[in-house]
Amino acid sequence: MNAPDRYERFVVPEGMKKVAYERDMKVMNAATFTLQREDHTIGNILRMQLHRDPSVLFAGYKLPHPLQYRVVVKIQTNSQSSPMQAYNLAITDLTKELDHLKATFEQETNQKQAEYY
Amino acid sequence: MDNVSYQRFPTVRIRDIKDDVLKFELRDTDASIANALRRIMIAEVPTLAIDLVEIESNSSVLNDEFLAHRLGLIPIVSDRAMEMRLSRDCDACDGDGRCEYCSIEFHLSVKCTGDQTLDVTSLDLVSSDPSIIPVDAAGRAADMGGFESNDTRGILIVKLRKGQELKLRAIARKGIGKDHAKWSPAATVTFQYEPEIHINEALMETLTLEEKQEWIDSSPTKVFELDPVSQQVVVVDPEAYTYDEEVLKKAEAMGKPGLVEIYSKEDSFIFTVESTGAIKASQMFLNAIEILKSKLDAVRLSFDTEEADDQFGELGAHMRGGGI
Ligand SMILES: [Zn+2]
Repeated sequence: MNAPDRYERFVVPEGMKKVAYERDMKVMNAATFTLQREDHTIGNILRMQLHRDPSVLFAGYKLPHPLQYRVVVKIQTNSQSSPMQAYNLAITDLTKELDHLKATFEQETNQKQAEYY
Repeated sequence: MDNVSYQRFPTVRIRDIKDDVLKFELRDTDASIANALRRIMIAEVPTLAIDLVEIESNSSVLNDEFLAHRLGLIPIVSDRAMEMRLSRDCDACDGDGRCEYCSIEFHLSVKCTGDQTLDVTSLDLVSSDPSIIPVDAAGRAADMGGFESNDTRGILIVKLRKGQELKLRAIARKGIGKDHAKWSPAATVTFQYEPEIHINEALMETLTLEEKQEWIDSSPTKVFELDPVSQQVVVVDPEAYTYDEEVLKKAEAMGKPGLVEIYSKEDSFIFTVESTGAIKASQMFLNAIEILKSKLDAVRLSFDTEEADDQFGELGAHMRGGGI
């Protein structure tokens, strides 16, 4: 009767920001990113990609609650970068990796299919 | 600063590719990417499924909602699902979910008149669009030379006895597995780490033939074998290893620790993708890549957030400069 709509799990409510950015007021070069209607899928790949960046001192993510459909990513960098810069770079690198993966996969499937005929 | 990149270049080797099954090796990336793609194939690659059923008459033994649920679970050919609109944000019908851009209509009308029990199957569903029909696993497999079967019987919905009738209208819509499992194109999607097995040959040679065989037999899966000619223990199928550590425990118990060392390669994955038939397995993987890309794009920071932070940075620098 009062069950929430199923789509609430993946549709960002009107007036809510998809990504909220908040600077840490106590630590230099640290910030929190709150991604609405995302989960481990995005949280974990972002974290792992951020770990590849040597200017990132800390990168972690959490799902605060299973019924609150948001993921929180915390980043701290050294003075060579900023959390925002590191975050943007991680997204860009992951996108490029996926482009490469897609091209490689298509090439391999075409080759495999050519073998059949 | 703009030219720094920590991008990886994954490689792929395809082992087996059929319409409904795909097996491949993914290398030079990490578990987070492998797992993200697996999760998306299961929960976020869209397909079509029956979402609304209007029953005109039903005198079968199954009640209306039971039938509606069964209809929802029938896989529907969804090659066009990626381009279709979700009813929720279809502006042609204002979210009503009944227009040609976001829905497909099916009709079913069956009456049993004979003495024999009549099977109502997915083949009785008549589509408004000839390219969007229920998946017929048997038919598709026969086309591919899968299994030899001429009886394409479809998927059983309900059985009718003499005099019973079923008449309904069903609307199929686009959706994702996160919403309801009926929209998931995945039968199973799994990946495993590739094991790396090193036998300490010197230590192995201190074992008698019987001991070797005993050690080999301690593995619940057939990973090792005794070479009949050289009488040496060889790895026949590293992937059969299930990380059960039985052979390590056995070596320990035999007083030969370090007889074998087994690692899992952290950047190498063996994927198995099985489709319900709604989308080809290989297309499922490609769609998952596309969806992950658009998800990443959606979490990019908006320009005004970046701008506001720049201003804050200047203010911060000003304040720090102004102190003491
Ligand atoms: Zn519509």
